[in-house]
Amino acid sequence: MSESGSFKDVRREVAYAYENVKFFKAHMEASSLQPDDINTLADFKRIPVTRKLHYRRNYPSGVLAAGFTLTGPHVMRFQSSGTSGERLNSAILSYDLARRQATSMSVNVKFNALWRPGARPRICRYAPPNCSDVECGIGLTTMEERTLADGTLVLPVAHDLLATPARMITQALDEIAAYDPEILVVDPTHLAFLVREANKLGRTITTTNTLHIVCGYTHLTQVARRQIRHFFGDETPIGNMLGMSELGYLGFECHHGGLHINNQDFFLEFLNEERETALDEIGELVISTIDDSLLPRIRYATGDLYRLLSNPCSCGATLPLVTIEGRSTHNIIRKNGGIVTPADVDLAVADCPAIDLYKLEQDEAGCLRFRYILNQAPSQDLLTLQQRISALCQTRDIIFEAVDYIACERSGKFQSCISRYNGASHP
Amino acid sequence: MTNHFIERSQFPALMQEIDGRPVNYLDSAATTLKPRVMIDAITEYYSQNGANIHRGKHRLSDEASNAYEAARLAVADYICAQANEVVFTQNTTHALNIVAQGLALTKSDLVIAGIDSHHSQLLPWRQVATLRFIQTDDYGRIDLDHFQTLLALRPKVIALTHCSNVTGVVHPIEQMIAMIRKQSDAIIVLDAAQSLPHGRLNLHTLGADFVAFSAHKMLGPTGLGFLYANRQRLDSLKPLQFGGGTVDWVDTDGQISRRAPYHLEAGTPAIASVIGAGATFRMLAGFDETARRAHDRNLVNSLLSGAASRPYLKLIGPSDGENRHAIGAFKFSDCVSVGEIARLLSDAYGIMCRSGYMCAQPFVGALAGGEILRASAYLYNTTADIDALYQALDDLAECMGLPTIN
Repeated sequence: MSESGSFKDVRREVAYAYENVKFFKAHMEASSLQPDDINTLADFKRIPVTRKLHYRRNYPSGVLAAGFTLTGPHVMRFQSSGTSGERLNSAILSYDLARRQATSMSVNVKFNALWRPGARPRICRYAPPNCSDVECGIGLTTMEERTLADGTLVLPVAHDLLATPARMITQALDEIAAYDPEILVVDPTHLAFLVREANKLGRTITTTNTLHIVCGYTHLTQVARRQIRHFFGDETPIGNMLGMSELGYLGFECHHGGLHINNQDFFLEFLNEERETALDEIGELVISTIDDSLLPRIRYATGDLYRLLSNPCSCGATLPLVTIEGRSTHNIIRKNGGIVTPADVDLAVADCPAIDLYKLEQDEAGCLRFRYILNQAPSQDLLTLQQRISALCQTRDIIFEAVDYIACERSGKFQSCISRYNGASHP
Repeated sequence: MTNHFIERSQFPALMQEIDGRPVNYLDSAATTLKPRVMIDAITEYYSQNGANIHRGKHRLSDEASNAYEAARLAVADYICAQANEVVFTQNTTHALNIVAQGLALTKSDLVIAGIDSHHSQLLPWRQVATLRFIQTDDYGRIDLDHFQTLLALRPKVIALTHCSNVTGVVHPIEQMIAMIRKQSDAIIVLDAAQSLPHGRLNLHTLGADFVAFSAHKMLGPTGLGFLYANRQRLDSLKPLQFGGGTVDWVDTDGQISRRAPYHLEAGTPAIASVIGAGATFRMLAGFDETARRAHDRNLVNSLLSGAASRPYLKLIGPSDGENRHAIGAFKFSDCVSVGEIARLLSDAYGIMCRSGYMCAQPFVGALAGGEILRASAYLYNTTADIDALYQALDDLAECMGLPTIN
């Protein structure tokens, strides 16, 4: 059985969504269900899962709860290209976002200092531009234009990270200095790039209060973490965030390095097809919101694969421990049909001091290519790295290439592991 | 009532569903959708021929050359011109650059252009001469008094726009050309990219020296534009590019240029696109012009009447339907981003509109004070498509907390 928040809470959410959300009422009625029918967990599972498509097609009028408008107080609107290329428009109440953030980050004592009564930490975001809800992809917008309703400053960033013009790098560094944030919410690949460029320019990033770094959007590789850690030093708290644009914080990395998922503000299920997965088994995370009065989601299939772990974490946090296994579109498929997740690749590459960036790709025909960008460090480990990647993928048919440029996805995200192979044939 | 001018089934892009919804395409001022007849012509060339043109004597090349030149005839026929008065370019922008760069202007030369010009009719001139703008009134109609004042400054070139890509306003181009000819020997360069898609023009009698337009805005392929001028004008242009196809003879000391229009068509052209455009122009030539204009007028009236009854919308442009094509530009309340509206129209309703400055930033900035939403309808649209747009906008306005007609 999955760890989850209170079933009583999610029943209340179902009743609220049914009464207030046009799409969800129709969704329930299409399965001849009404809130009174949902008395047990088994009843709840009779509600068909909802997907991004439902919310994209019905947003805003079909999924916004009655009585709310998108321009109302505390409503934050955003558009996302989606990690898998599935566009999404959505909205969230700023206090729901803050609540989920606080619950999630509570597992990491190094971030405790951020929460002071009546004060909100100053946040800068450095992330792929299509994830943002302002025009940060061009350098002509002002800081004011790129400041969200909750005060977050979105830093300018190019769609193709490694092709970021010098002026935008300088602009981002200048704006961090001017804004003096307490939290940098970043895509780790992006921040690793920014600190490499800062090093070249002889620039540092210093703030009045302790800077806390929250990494999200794409997999936090050990290669990126090594560069961020080296630049900011051991005293700077760095945490890996589990999150989705439409839901905010789903979980956070504790001070012992474990990933904990937020089962207080969400009711969680981990499914393999219709079946609930066992502990330590990979399953798709399916989320129901709790107390989301603006845009409640019931049995929302995230498309993200997780493993709910059986062992407790040494940190003592009560939020359950998980590992994120990526998305099915990111997983490499071996010749024997087995999968290699981005997390597997990250473990195989490790922090590899000789490289700044890497990407393992599987093309439509199943062919594999591992590209990497070398730095100035000694590179004698590369042969063993290649052996580890070959062993992981169970093939020697991998093209290994040292390059000086790797493009981002069209979405602006840089995925360190991605597959376009549909499994129909394998070389 | 169905009031298609061309059946949707002729456009494969309109036959698909996105997220279970049919496509309502209202962005034809950016580019039109492509009819099956054009796609088939291109496919046939690539699948049955594929050879280069004007480069040899073999059979495939000869057949490709024939199809290519037949397309030039079809384009020329549409604008009542001779085939050798039509230059194939990459697009309207390229055509205008060929003229701007080819006239040997200097910074002391004055060029005047409408403030509502597309950037492609402004920026090429700004590179080579001094540019001044002809003002419009608050609704985007040309201020003829100001135009008269500027004519007195004896401009070397007058860069006109026939139809605004922002407001859909069709300027009194015949009257303006007459005013120019009466008191000036200025060269007239006309951007007809938004007008020729809506009806045939006789460019011989119109009297502009150069006219530029694009295939892709009139059911044709992308990557292909046209420059019209008479042979003397074309011969007078210094070519923007040199190379294969532009010369009759080359030796170690020099070359002999080919006759117009070939001396302006350097390199292997977009053969398939030209052949595809030929099919498109033959299709357009078969339309009843009176019925076509009536269809356009219905779409205009539908756009205007819908906007008039929505308090949350500000129409950018005149509120009457006289002398305009089916383009509606809108501004919303300041708290609503038009980019967000365009995205929601697309994702939730299947309605494709353009948002931004429409590549006419000086004009849109002055008239609207910021980005706008543009709906532009064409031959495959019906008034029902425009009704659906307004219903969706009402829906969104309600979600945004804006005052609606309800």
